Amino acid sequence: MAEKTLDCLGEACPVPLVKAQKELEKMQKGDVLIVNIDHSCAMKNIPDWAREAGHNVEIDEVGEGEWDIVIEKC
Amino acid sequence: MSENIGRIARSSGRRTQMSDAQRKRRKAVQIITGAALIAVIIVMAFVANQTNPKGAYIVIIGTLLGYALQRSRFCFTAALRDPFLTGGTNLTKAMIITFALYSFLLMAINITKFGISLDSVDFSKAAGYIRPVGFHTALGAFLFGIGAVIAGGCASGTFMRMGEGFLQQWVVVIFFIIGSMIGGVAAPIVQFKSAPVVFLPQLFGGWALAAFVQFSLLLILYIVADIWGRKKAGGR
Amino acid sequence: MSEEKINANKQKVDYWKILFKNEWSYVTGAVVIVVLATALVIVTGKSWGVTGILHLWGGKFLELIGVNADTWSIYNGALGKFNFWKSIPSITNVGIVLGALLSALLAASFKIKKIKSYKQVIAAILGGILMGVGARMAMGCNIGALFSGLSSFSLHGWVFFLFIFIGAMVESSMLKKWFM
Repeated sequence: MAEKTLDCLGEACPVPLVKAQKELEKMQKGDVLIVNIDHSCAMKNIPDWAREAGHNVEIDEVGEGEWDIVIEKC
Repeated sequence: MSENIGRIARSSGRRTQMSDAQRKRRKAVQIITGAALIAVIIVMAFVANQTNPKGAYIVIIGTLLGYALQRSRFCFTAALRDPFLTGGTNLTKAMIITFALYSFLLMAINITKFGISLDSVDFSKAAGYIRPVGFHTALGAFLFGIGAVIAGGCASGTFMRMGEGFLQQWVVVIFFIIGSMIGGVAAPIVQFKSAPVVFLPQLFGGWALAAFVQFSLLLILYIVADIWGRKKAGGR
Repeated sequence: MSEEKINANKQKVDYWKILFKNEWSYVTGAVVIVVLATALVIVTGKSWGVTGILHLWGGKFLELIGVNADTWSIYNGALGKFNFWKSIPSITNVGIVLGALLSALLAASFKIKKIKSYKQVIAAILGGILMGVGARMAMGCNIGALFSGLSSFSLHGWVFFLFIFIGAMVESSMLKKWFM
């Protein structure tokens, strides 16, 4: 079960989601992707996409305006 | 298997760097600042009222709009861009809902004001923005769409993100203003005098048919967006 | 942290969460926005707009730094007549900034996001200018022409919808290539 972290702090709107999608495509089932973000759009559109695609998602607020989105590929 | 991600999330290095007391204090500082900001806004409403009898209401409505946009992460740019960039259409559908709802309410207001017959509709007093349509609309909208995706936010999105702390949007707004000034010179070149004002109820000979066309189109677009979103999600 | 402390704080934390912290669904946001926009129409008679006055802000700034812009053809005396508190979009724009700030603060999720690279600056400049010119040309932006215009049963709103969509589609497919 591999674990990869994607640092998207300071990235503008669609970038975190696009990067997360590309990264997750490369991963195996059971792998975990952690996306660090500070964009309010992303803390909603990344989990929405990941859940609709059938993965397990957890969002952790690690600080004011900063979130870690943990996606487990299913 | 999914207990694992809970464990990973909570042990993420950055979270444990601060003590809980520190974290609580930082949260409290933000909330207290927020409360102070409410006071500032109330003062602003009061000041507005000195010059404009409706000023206080406008200040409050504007504030609540910003609040609602931020709180729901609403973004028109994403609604238009995501179907192609990420395959997501949730915002697109929500945007279509705003059109349907607002259309309905504006229609209600206008019918109440002018009656169901269109003879007495005074465009300058009608609720809403009724403007000439033509080449300028197409070109302007096209340029706006490109600009909004590049800048990472549209008009409302820019102001919302300024308040959220995105310094990039503070730069965007400066050039938005400059662009507006440039537009003041460039726009009239493509705004032909022959461009007509087309009010759908007049075009379709009455509110009933216009409403039918408008709401049907919106419904169709909603369904298309829904199907598109499902197709894109399932494909992964 | 001890279990007792967590449980003792649970009541307070949940209350705050529901009222101020949790984000709203897109549909909730949609409904609230429409209600507020309608309130604006009822109170002022005018529909919500964002960009119609931006060139006036620019002109006022120029006046502040000593440029007599009011005589320019694009203003033609409009700057002299401009009063911030009588300019509805001016007030709502500032309101949006403050409201968004308030929302972030009350949810304790405010953070200043600094500019990360020169690419973001170029994007801001290019995007801003295109939006400014485009909105002026089309006689409205995503709020004035699209949200308000379309909902006003004006054809220009629908045309705006079609072409802003095309513009966004063209640009996002270019963005996709740029990232790969």
